[in-house]
Parts: sequence; structure tokens; C-alpha cells
Amino acid sequence: MFKLLSYVWDNFKEYFVLVILVIVSFVLLTQNNNPQVQKVRAVAFGSFAAITTVVYDLFNTTQIKRENEELRKVNSELMLQVSALREQGILNSKLKELAGFKDTSTLPLIPATVVSRTLSQTQNTITINKGFNNGLKPGMPVMNHLGLVGVINSTSDGFAIARTLKNINLKLTVKNERSRIDGIMIWDGDNLVIINVPKTFDFEAGDRIVTSEISSIIPIPIPVGVVSEIISEKTGLLNRIKLTPFVDVLSVEHVFILQLVQSVQKNELELNFYNMP
Amino acid sequence: MKLKYFIPILIFIPVVIIQLTIIPLISIEEVAPDLLLITLVYFSIAYGQLYGTSVGAFYGLAFDLITGSLIGSNMLAKTVAGFTAGYFSAETKKDKYLYTYAFCLVVFLCAIINSLIFSFFSVIDFDKNFIFVLFNHSMLPSIYTTMLSILVVIVPHRRSYT
Repeated sequence: MFKLLSYVWDNFKEYFVLVILVIVSFVLLTQNNNPQVQKVRAVAFGSFAAITTVVYDLFNTTQIKRENEELRKVNSELMLQVSALREQGILNSKLKELAGFKDTSTLPLIPATVVSRTLSQTQNTITINKGFNNGLKPGMPVMNHLGLVGVINSTSDGFAIARTLKNINLKLTVKNERSRIDGIMIWDGDNLVIINVPKTFDFEAGDRIVTSEISSIIPIPIPVGVVSEIISEKTGLLNRIKLTPFVDVLSVEHVFILQLVQSVQKNELELNFYNMP
Repeated sequence: MKLKYFIPILIFIPVVIIQLTIIPLISIEEVAPDLLLITLVYFSIAYGQLYGTSVGAFYGLAFDLITGSLIGSNMLAKTVAGFTAGYFSAETKKDKYLYTYAFCLVVFLCAIINSLIFSFFSVIDFDKNFIFVLFNHSMLPSIYTTMLSILVVIVPHRRSYT
């Protein structure tokens, strides 16, 4: 019996190891939201990001980072104010009440620098040099002076990983600024699209798209992109709205994290995967 | 303990640092070469299939943890890629596949397998043209990775002549 097992192992050990490792991979794929796995991930990327920062700084030619950081912060604040004013203008014209809207200019912005990036076409992420100790939490929006970059996915003490707009796992509720119609925006691997939009909904090329206030992740309007194309679905009932994002997430270097305090009551009511224990 | 078991771990750190900091500078849109895969193929051919499979799993898992990718996706892709590269590792084949341009072909094959498996867990959109997805998500990065792998063949040769 032992000889048989020994023979089988000697001749097929590569296949056994392959099968075992493939099974382990599948098990890990199902455990992505497990808090223990998240902790291991936080330790792993936190430790590694510290090393990456040093190398990244060597290749970072912008020596006037501090000054740039300040200017970008002002830019971002102005961008938010402009966005808020646009919102209010449109709402004014429709005789809606303004009282319920937040003053976004007072929202706290945390400046951060991208220390590394994953250039995956489907799971694009950036690592930034601010983390839990700076008040960052999963779910906080990452932006720059042009608009939304992504959303914080996990944090370690001094670093955080953000899913960018070019990540298929990031799904956001967005709104057409002109027609006030909401939709779900995803990255389909090649394009940023609003999916399952009924043909009767009012979308036109050139419309500005911002994050929607009904989103449990980003409840204030942050510019995302403009409608570049309306694609008809095969079913014939729905459209796919193709967007051109304002931010080129592949080249972004300096970002700001909007330190939003999420509504506990709202989060308890809505299914928000970021609030898992 | 044999040194060969530690080499992949020691090599992993500088390779990933380059992958995350320097490679984005030479990327074309989102298409970037995969240095980890080239390293993995090299180890697989040099030390065998079992070794390559294990190193692939380690590299993939570590990369998933460091970069925030879906944990297990890179692990699965690189495990199978390492296993595939191991088929070119027999004693008689080693010199043929490790020090000639055949190495680039092995890298290309493994890069395709790696990208396909990784994409499968990322882009499951049956509305899209499969050929387009295959080309965009697998062929382009694989071609770029293969082009970079030429350096692995050329550089040692150049050194031997000087």
C-alpha cells in the first residue's frame, strides 16, 4: 500500500500540488470579505507600501510636492464648491428646496500621495500614503481637482488601498446632472458605463455625470465624467451609457480623501458591504 | 536549507517594487508587462514544475495581498502559469528554453494563460465580443511581457561577450 502511494506520489506529485493550490485559491476567492483576511491584507500592504514609498519618491520628479499639495487642495475645494453651485442652480430652476443640501466646502479633505499602483485592466488600485492613523476608513471617496478617483477599500496604520474608477469591483450610484436621473456606474473592463438604463431615460452625449446623493458610499455630488456614447443593449429595452471620466486614474499622483462621516442610521437601513464587522 | 528555496522570496521584493513603481512609467494605457510572471517562468524552467507551481502560488498570493486585488485571483492564475512553465524544465530542455529566444515563447504562453485566468475572475461579461476581450485583456499584456522577457535572454549573452 505504501509502495503504491509512494509510486503515485512520485509520478503525480506535481498534479497533486497543483490541485491543492488551485483549491486553496478558490477558497481564498470566497474569503475576500472575511475580517481576518482583511487584517492580513492590511499588514501585508502596509509593510510593503513603506518600502515602495522610498522607491517611488526616487522616481518622483516633482520636488515641489508640498506647494503642489496645497494648490491642489485649494483646487479640490473650489471644484466641490463649483459642483455644489451647479447643483443648486439646477435645483433652483426647478423650484426645489435648497435647505436640505450640505455645504460641501466645509467637508474635510486629507491630502495624500500615490505611492504605488496596480496597472490591472480590471482591478486597478492605488496605494496612498495616508491610512487609519490619519482618519481614513474604507468607503471614503478619493478625488483630485478634476473629480472622483476612487473609493478607499482597505487601510493599514499608515497606508490605504483605493479602488479606482477602473476597477470592476467598484460600483457607484451616479446621477445625470442635467436630467437628474440616477443609475449604477461600473467599470466593465474597458469602459466606464452606466448599466441597465431604460431607453426612455433622458441621457445625451455631453451630459455631466456626478455621484448621486442616494449613494450610501458617496452621498455628495462629485464630478465623475461626461456621457460620450449611448450604446443600445442586445435586449432592445435598455441602454448602456458610456462615460469619459474627468480623471485619468492611470496618471494621478496627488489625491484628496473626503473624510465623510457616514450616516449610521442610513447605513443601518441600507445594505452597505463596507459596514461589515 | 537549500538556497534555492529562498531566492524566489528575495527576488520577489525588488521585482514587485519595480512592478508597482517603475513599470507604470512604461505602460501603454493599462497595458503593462508582468515582471513577476517573467521571474516565475524563469524559476519554473530552472528548478522544475513542482517548484514553479509553488512559487507561482506564493507570488500570486503575495501580489494579491500587497496590491488589493481580489485575493486568490492572481494566486490561481500564477499557480497554473508556473505549472505550465514547468513542462519546459526537464534536464535536457533547460538549456534550450532558458537561454534562447524559446524562453520568450514560453513566457508568451504562460502570460496568455495567466491573463486569461485572471480576466475570467474579473471580466465576466458575456455581452462582449469574446475575441475582443481575449485580445485586449490577454494578448496585449502578453505581447508586452514577452517583449520585455527578451532582456532575460539578451543581457546574460551580452555580459558573456564582454
